[in-house]
Amino acid sequence: MCLLCERYSGGYERWYLNPANYARRLYKIRKGEAEELGAEANPQLAGGMGILGKEFLEAEERGDIETVKRLAQEAEASALGVHFGQVITLDEALKILDIMYPIALMSCACRRSMYGTPDHENFFCIGMGPGMYKWERWPDTYRGGVQYLTPDEAKEVVAKMDKKGLVHTVYTFGTPYLGGLCHCDYPDCAGLRMRLEHGVNIFWKGHCVARVDPELCNGCGQCVVRCQFKALNFSPTRNRAFIDQSQCFGCGLCATECPQDAITLVEKANLPALASAW
Amino acid sequence: MLATITVKDEKCNNPLSCRKCLLVCPMGVLGLGTNVGTRKFKETEPEHFIVRGVRIDKCTGCMECVEICPGNAIQVSF
Repeated sequence: MCLLCERYSGGYERWYLNPANYARRLYKIRKGEAEELGAEANPQLAGGMGILGKEFLEAEERGDIETVKRLAQEAEASALGVHFGQVITLDEALKILDIMYPIALMSCACRRSMYGTPDHENFFCIGMGPGMYKWERWPDTYRGGVQYLTPDEAKEVVAKMDKKGLVHTVYTFGTPYLGGLCHCDYPDCAGLRMRLEHGVNIFWKGHCVARVDPELCNGCGQCVVRCQFKALNFSPTRNRAFIDQSQCFGCGLCATECPQDAITLVEKANLPALASAW
Repeated sequence: MLATITVKDEKCNNPLSCRKCLLVCPMGVLGLGTNVGTRKFKETEPEHFIVRGVRIDKCTGCMECVEICPGNAIQVSF
């Protein structure tokens, strides 16, 4: 079972479908302690450039497996407590938009860091919950401001992101508090890059994997460009899509695009070898 | 082999709006950050943005960032 579901699902099917995880207190009670500037408020600090630096890359380069392992474990533990992501499906994203409020579009810290994307072109992330009422405290995190959305408007935005080929990912800001519904791709998402390029897991797989029905697949190949995880290949021999389920993150982007409805998502819980692969 | 990428901040003028190097790099090696921490109620001014070689393991040494930089601020060596 997913560790987060074990700890935080509160009886709901998934931990991110538990409304309590969107309902962090609007104001914290602080008794004399300095207000944290921290990672909870600032995705750039928490998940972006800073999490693993030159020391890690140098250790990888010289084949120092112990150091690589130690630094990766430290980064994973720290991210898991503060700011990490998990892939969800379009259907789940739409459900989430019905259980929490407020909802607002905000600019993406990863794309700003990767390309300096101007704010007005950079509204890829959806901020969720009471934290959005405090955005003016952290103008750097919310560069370009926020655009509040009704649940229906947000569902339209999320459907458009799906059409565009972006992966729906929930992000914590002080786990288990969920504050972000991000729309990620490779190589633009810092978390996804760390995962795919270095195997550092600050970007968790979802609860399902995609399965191609070989009878229904007609080999059109439209799904292939939708995969951001290097899991989907096209087999010229069989004229069929091939999905490496051990590499699949279960985002469902291939399934939502398939004109034949040949791709379905299956629960990992029913697949012993994948059930605990996050 | 890991690249050594140095950016002379005094020659790198407002990378937030220039961003030529960030867009030209075929491997997305460079990153944009700031040289000040996140401050409450204060947006970071353009002059505090900096470019650094972040994913240096992906740098192939093509030198396209070096060539495109209008301020000659970037050096790449191996």
